[in-house]
Amino acid sequence: MIVTTLKPLDEILESISPYRKILIAGCDGCTQPPRGIREVKTLKQLLELAGQLKGKEFEFKVTSVVKQCDSVLTTSAIKPYVEDVEAVLSLACGAGPQTIAKFFPDLPAIPAQNSHFIGIDDRQENEMFDSCSACGDCILALTGGICPVTRCSKGLLNGACGGASNGKCELDPERDCAWELIYERLKRLGRLDLIKKFTPAKDYSAKGWRVTP
Amino acid sequence: MSQTVAEPKVAVNIKEEQCSRCAICASLCPYDAITQDHDNKKMVLDIEKCQVCGICYSACPAKAIDTVYYSCESVLKYLEKVRLQYKSDSLVIMCKGSAPDFSEVGRLFGIKDFIPLAVPCVGRISEEVLLGVLTAGIKDINILACDEDYCRFHRGSPLTGRRVIALNRMLEQLGYGEEAITLKRNSLKVTVDKDLCIACGTCVAYCPYHAPTLTSAGGISFDLDACRGCGLCVALCPAFALDMDNWERARISDLIPKLLNEMKPPKILVFRCQWADYPPLNGDMSPSIGTIELPCAGRIEAFHILEAIQSGADGVMVVACSEDDCKQEKVSAKSEHVVAGIKEKLEQIGLGDKLGFASVSPRYPGQVEAKVREFRQSLEGAKKEAAE
Repeated sequence: MIVTTLKPLDEILESISPYRKILIAGCDGCTQPPRGIREVKTLKQLLELAGQLKGKEFEFKVTSVVKQCDSVLTTSAIKPYVEDVEAVLSLACGAGPQTIAKFFPDLPAIPAQNSHFIGIDDRQENEMFDSCSACGDCILALTGGICPVTRCSKGLLNGACGGASNGKCELDPERDCAWELIYERLKRLGRLDLIKKFTPAKDYSAKGWRVTP
Repeated sequence: MSQTVAEPKVAVNIKEEQCSRCAICASLCPYDAITQDHDNKKMVLDIEKCQVCGICYSACPAKAIDTVYYSCESVLKYLEKVRLQYKSDSLVIMCKGSAPDFSEVGRLFGIKDFIPLAVPCVGRISEEVLLGVLTAGIKDINILACDEDYCRFHRGSPLTGRRVIALNRMLEQLGYGEEAITLKRNSLKVTVDKDLCIACGTCVAYCPYHAPTLTSAGGISFDLDACRGCGLCVALCPAFALDMDNWERARISDLIPKLLNEMKPPKILVFRCQWADYPPLNGDMSPSIGTIELPCAGRIEAFHILEAIQSGADGVMVVACSEDDCKQEKVSAKSEHVVAGIKEKLEQIGLGDKLGFASVSPRYPGQVEAKVREFRQSLEGAKKEAAE
């Protein structure tokens, strides 16, 4: 999923301060829990309360889009409000405000969230961590399903570097050494032969900036 | 100077001098809180295990058990008093767990006017109360219990079933007709609005009972037999696609301004799990405190907390059971998490002081009052600080 967190409310208030009529647009898409209509209404209530304290009256409209990164879904969801609002406050990942910016050139699109990474949601440990860099050239088949590009601090394609101690990275003692995890996993799968395979330097141009399906 | 520490008053007591050591209480206690001493045969109550269901109190043949909540005498006295107010000869005794809304209850029994009596578990209502009610002239007794396997206190609802059968047989012989006491069962369940569901799986992740599953058709389906009506999924559903029979979001939203309008400042609205405290019948509450009971603290929504603050509450307090006492599967701990989440956001806009959380147990009466008092003092302190 895409992992996002709500921006500090002061920052949101600051960025919406030039406007009075604002559409808060949720996104039912990738985050867990989705920033759907519940999060939208909660944010509305909080901003109204904060506005009252500052003597500022907002007029909020609310909606939630199935996926804000989808131009068709977003335009059809936002369009009915365009005449009535001065700005859209988006509860999507960074793609949401940009979709709105692209298809509504005259409507300011303001992010309510910070987007962190594409990650795994580990409910047992109650944590989410970065697991995919969208590099455009997946090598998980060689690395036991654990991504060294993302999870190794050095992004090494051939590891381990030898700097880890007690399974933790030398650059960040909080962080598991990705290559030790890869080794253990491959051992468990009986595929240690894969770790001996040399992976040449990545062609990062494969990541691209545009894909035509 | 010697200091004396006052023993905290407990809600249940065994009066040793009256006890005949029959051990019926021990056999009925759902929590093994009462045991019999091997050597002297005395009944021993471990109050820390007790969940104050009152089943032992209702079943003790020697009347050797005291409880501070809903004793036979207080119930009969209360009914005598409110009977004039309700102007009805029909009584509905209901478990709080099965139906909180009186109009819905009336519909279930097909009656319009009745005296409502909501107790935490109908298992605590003894034969003595039921017969006392008939003696007092109430003609029609209806009991609404939870479904048997749904009873929060495990044995309360089945025990009531047996009690009613036995009493009805006896009353029939006395000429009261075939079913002098009507028993119905009902349980709180989640409802799903499939049109609103976004199939995100949040309910699947949080339900302690594995009631919801995502379907291949891209929606959600609930195993209602597994649903225990805690309301956690309802409170967390990001799309407002879930609701709960009788504890609907809109019903709670309607209650908030209604209660606040009746209250005097400083207005403190308490959202309380109905198992965390048993308020006295007809008890006098401070005019500045309003309480909304919830089927479990898990039902609390950030939405309602903010709504209360927006509607003019000076403070909002959420009262849950302690983690060990939760009648659901560790749901009270999750409610604390929900409250902490919204409190953190309120702090960002300088309103964090307005929200309080406490966990209590009815085994020590007066805990809620004490916590609310503390909260009120902290509110007043914060207000003073802000003024300075």
